[in-house]
Amino acid sequence: MFRLDADKRVHFCDGVTRRDFLHAGSLGFLGLSMPQFLRLKAMAAPKPEKDVNCIQLMLVGGPSQLDTWDMKPDAPASIRGPFKPIKTNVSGIEISEIFPRMAKHADKFALVRSVYHTAAAVHDTGCQMMQTGRLFQGGLESPNYGSVLRFEKGPRGDMPPNVLLPHMIGQLGGNLPHGDTGGFLGKGYDPFVLNADPADPNFKVPDMLPPDYISAVRVDRRRSWRQEVDKSVQYFEATNPDTKLMDATFNQAYTLMTSAKAREAFELSQETDEVRKRYGLNRFGQGCLLARRLVERGVRFVTLNMFETVFNEITWDIHGSAPFSPISCYSDLVGPMFDNGYSSLLEDLSRIGLLDTTLVLATGEFGRTPRINPAGGRDHWPQCWTVVLAGGGIQGGQVVGASDAIGGAPKDRPVTPAHLAATVYKSLGIPIDTELKTPQGRIVRLVDHGFDPIDELFA
Amino acid sequence: MQHRNLLVIVAVAGCLTAVLAFSSSPGGQTPAHPFAAPGHGSPAHKAAPSAAQHSSSPAALTRIEILPASVSMIGPRYSQRLLVEGTFADGHQEELTSRATIAVSDLKVAQVNKDSFVFPQGDGRATITATMQGHRATVPLIVDRYTNAPDWSFRNDVLPVMTKVGCNSGPCHGAAAGKNGFKLSLRGYDATTDYYTLTHQALARRTDRIEPAKSLILLKPTATVAHGGGRRFDVGSREYLVMSGWIAQGMPAPMESDAKVTEIQVLPREASLQAGAQQQLIVTAVYSDGHTADVTRWAKYDSGDEGVATVDNNGHVTMRGYGEAPVTVWYQSHVTFSRLRIPFPYKLEDAVFKRAARNNFIDGYVLKHLEALHIPPSPQATDAEFMRRAYLDAAGILPKPSEVEKFLKDTSPDKRRRLIDDLMQRPEFVDYWAYKWSDMLLVSSNHLANDEMWSYYNWIRDSVASNKPWNQFASQIVTATGKTLENGAANYWLIHRDPLDTSENMAQAFMGINISCAHCHNHPLAKWTQKDYYGMANLFARVRLKTFAPTTLRAAVGPIFNDVTVYSAPTGEFMDDRLMIPLPPKPLDAVELSSETPGDTRQYFAKWLTSPENPFFARNIVNRVWRNFMGRGLIEPVDDLRDTNPATNDELLNALVKDFVAHNFDVDYLIRTIMQSATYQTSSRPLKENVDDDKYGSHFVIKRLPAEVLLDAYSQVTQVPEKFAEYPVGMRGLQLPDTAVKSYFLTAFGRPIRQQTRESERTSVPTITQALHVINGETLNNKLRSPGNSVDMLLRLGFSDEQILDYLYLASFTRHPTGSERAALLEGLASAEKEKTAGIDDSRRAAWIDMSWALLTGKEFMFNY
Repeated sequence: MFRLDADKRVHFCDGVTRRDFLHAGSLGFLGLSMPQFLRLKAMAAPKPEKDVNCIQLMLVGGPSQLDTWDMKPDAPASIRGPFKPIKTNVSGIEISEIFPRMAKHADKFALVRSVYHTAAAVHDTGCQMMQTGRLFQGGLESPNYGSVLRFEKGPRGDMPPNVLLPHMIGQLGGNLPHGDTGGFLGKGYDPFVLNADPADPNFKVPDMLPPDYISAVRVDRRRSWRQEVDKSVQYFEATNPDTKLMDATFNQAYTLMTSAKAREAFELSQETDEVRKRYGLNRFGQGCLLARRLVERGVRFVTLNMFETVFNEITWDIHGSAPFSPISCYSDLVGPMFDNGYSSLLEDLSRIGLLDTTLVLATGEFGRTPRINPAGGRDHWPQCWTVVLAGGGIQGGQVVGASDAIGGAPKDRPVTPAHLAATVYKSLGIPIDTELKTPQGRIVRLVDHGFDPIDELFA
Repeated sequence: MQHRNLLVIVAVAGCLTAVLAFSSSPGGQTPAHPFAAPGHGSPAHKAAPSAAQHSSSPAALTRIEILPASVSMIGPRYSQRLLVEGTFADGHQEELTSRATIAVSDLKVAQVNKDSFVFPQGDGRATITATMQGHRATVPLIVDRYTNAPDWSFRNDVLPVMTKVGCNSGPCHGAAAGKNGFKLSLRGYDATTDYYTLTHQALARRTDRIEPAKSLILLKPTATVAHGGGRRFDVGSREYLVMSGWIAQGMPAPMESDAKVTEIQVLPREASLQAGAQQQLIVTAVYSDGHTADVTRWAKYDSGDEGVATVDNNGHVTMRGYGEAPVTVWYQSHVTFSRLRIPFPYKLEDAVFKRAARNNFIDGYVLKHLEALHIPPSPQATDAEFMRRAYLDAAGILPKPSEVEKFLKDTSPDKRRRLIDDLMQRPEFVDYWAYKWSDMLLVSSNHLANDEMWSYYNWIRDSVASNKPWNQFASQIVTATGKTLENGAANYWLIHRDPLDTSENMAQAFMGINISCAHCHNHPLAKWTQKDYYGMANLFARVRLKTFAPTTLRAAVGPIFNDVTVYSAPTGEFMDDRLMIPLPPKPLDAVELSSETPGDTRQYFAKWLTSPENPFFARNIVNRVWRNFMGRGLIEPVDDLRDTNPATNDELLNALVKDFVAHNFDVDYLIRTIMQSATYQTSSRPLKENVDDDKYGSHFVIKRLPAEVLLDAYSQVTQVPEKFAEYPVGMRGLQLPDTAVKSYFLTAFGRPIRQQTRESERTSVPTITQALHVINGETLNNKLRSPGNSVDMLLRLGFSDEQILDYLYLASFTRHPTGSERAALLEGLASAEKEKTAGIDDSRRAAWIDMSWALLTGKEFMFNY
């Protein structure tokens, strides 16, 4: 056996070769920015004074409004459910006892208790609308907020502008898209998907660095030869945009590899055990911590999917019978998981001064039936639920909108996903009348006419 | 190991002569330095859709016609919209209604208003005449029962109004829970219940027969009183007239004996129009008693491609861009569509289509369609391109360098035909298709115990190997009984244990249709009703599983059964959980079985499913096989066949289906037919006139290699086999019976999880994760540095750099490098081989490893073109 280059280790932590690698990398490529060829018109809007980020917490499964942020203690037991309301640090605002830590931060977040949608009551449609503001119809797949933000503002430094943690949402039963991609803007605006569990003790971004035996010089010549070899198939790009996208993904990968800042952003081991425990040693908690680190270092938009599916996993989807979850999981598992991750995120963002410039949007894809079903759970109910917003210019300590006596329908200030989209874009400083163009040449407004931001939410 | 090395040497030796022979051939391109900055190709030339090139030479009008071709009206209340369509010398059509003069021969029978609506005036026959620029067209007209007209019909007049204005739509009162205490059936599928709701519920305030105008169903939608849904129509409108008229007549109830819509027709059925053209559609409903009516106003419209055509709520179309769009029309759960196109603005000689290669009937249909759209086909692919494509698409492998050499040198005219035949005899062909059907049938250790999984997989593989006709294949699964370890097909019933799930999967896998919408309400986009849904499920209610072996419990999956016997109970029914009675077993739109029929009801389903008359069964498999080769189904997505989702080339699909059925559902025959067509063998290089076409077959569609094929290709070219946990070394990705086998590479590159029968479970979108994995990850890098791999073999054989490059090009790209590629890459190699890098002893080997990496990660390798 001849082992030629395998046994001589070139350590990356040793200064020389690391510089060697970083230097070579920096020669190779210039960054992530893609020509924004789809832009229809130069935006005349004034530059917002602050660059606002967003962390979207997707509470996959659909939290019950009645057991979380819109309690109805005076309703009959068959409606109010097993949990009791508790006071928060803002007088007059009460939330469920399953969120004791969150109750101490009511001054930072606002509740919108009158959100509803009118599409089919399946998880997938709600995911679409909560991440894009629009139901996918007529072959039009709208881009998610993060993709629009990336399209409008490009990357910040070496950081990927739009990151999705930890995995894409998988099967939710409806087999429809979930609104977590670039949609008609193109797959080039899809988020960078982590594909690793941040709660794993050995967590790292897979394949972020070359193995020891591949030196920077070799990485660089491989890359240059690959480009040489591909010259003969440049015609691929004319008919298959994926071929162009593949080159873009390679370039983005090289940028990630060569950026110390980008690598460091993903290193949760730099946080103390105390901090990591405070967020909760689970996928969602560590995901919140990672989201904070990413935003601190320049990522503009982070999507954190709390769960990957609703089947055979304990989630917010409390139908009460297998393969779904029982209502008790809210106090045993799911509630505390959210409470710790979310509260720690608000605490830290606020402490480091990033909350003003980081919108934290926590939402499920719908609410749940006011009446408890025979299995002791609650089923899908898009007619009314609560969305929690904080930071990014949102005035905390307030409740907007109200539901009826049983949390079954908006009573006051009904809010659709399109209104929420307008609110998100207002916070992000992107005019809602921005016009985008689909590859077919169709012009689509960012938010449809008639849907304005919820202005009273803003400070 | 030794054995494998020997094969490599033979393969290398086989092409040695060619390698040497080629070394002196001149390069046709300018040499480029390998370290030169990556060049940017000139952007592809795109046709400007707004260019109004037609107007430059207006063609002469050659004839006009009136649509519809005959007019028949009953009673005084209905009208008929007319269209005048002109055909011009250059073949395009235009709607000329407003510019033509229209007259009726007998004004006592009917009159025409300025908007070209015909209104009846009395019983009789007459002729309608249109004239324009010396052209003339006539159609016959008949009016009947002018004085003894039938009453307004709840089913055929009132419900269509309510559907059109949206009362019973999903977001409004058609929601499962209704709206504000008023619940209608979604889009009016349940006339009897809706009638009761309108006339009896809510203290009967919704309809007032004494004072119709006080009826809530008139006060609300006219916004006379507050209405959450706003104003839907005006007092005095046609809608108001129908609703109030019906109430005033005493609200006749819907009867079983009512005439029912049996079919709807749209005109024009198809048309070649010009950019910016306005085209009105007219929709005619045909009823069970034979009468027809103009329902244009009450139908709903949707464009399949809004870049080509947009349509408003009244069926008025505006043509916007080049190409073809199906505009679907929906009325009373019936669907049809009009194909409207703007041909591309290229001046093409007739010879383009006359000269185009035609190998079999497929090409005739494709070229006919391309000609109508003015899209020229690309020339045929080179032998090398064809060979690589055929190997990848039919067997998931790359040809070996020795095979490439042999094929390229072969001068016989039927060599492509023979290559296809030979390829289909290979075991890899069987692996490939067994894998494909295993995707579709969800073979996975996530559902099945290991032995059961193998039993199921082997049954599928044997079926492919023996080319079992597709109707038998499906039939044997549908009716499978016996022990799961003996009859592999029986494992289907272990995966699908619930009649609803079974029924949905049967429709999905074997007919490509999604019926799950009809679980809760009639399917909004297809004709399937909730009754069809539950009736079909009841066909699978008698299947029983029996096992004496212990059941294993798998985390996050549930119970896994072992050694099961599948059998059918003689009786048993599935309860419709909505009506709490079982509905008679019935395969979708077939005749129902009596619930008392004893025995295995699956037999009845199997017979219906695989019958040549079942329009979905053969279409589904033909469309799936077509997609495998062409990169796109004739209907996309392939698991959503329905009338509202028309094929891009309907005539071709029908012809393929007919041919497939006539050849006894022979899948190999179908594969051969597709592969032999000139359409399949077209180059992937677009012409500037067909670069925008991605669905009509003018050029080959470039597609990324599927995850498993890519991994196997890495193993093949590097000569380092993959080792999957618990499987023997050398087992290829495409030979695995399971997609739950751990493999970071396969997951990252989009292998399906086999949870649901959906083509979209498999993805080929490039991601940063994939890029990072091939750049830094273990899979490819370990193969490249593994001792004894192909680079080591080539070095050990004492090949020159030039020979090695030639060999690697043949192995990777099925071709020799061009002169300029050779020059540029060899120059780069030469300097790399001299380079001293930390930790590298053998710099030549390191350079060749890096060169292999560049070849194997390039787009020419990652894509099938």
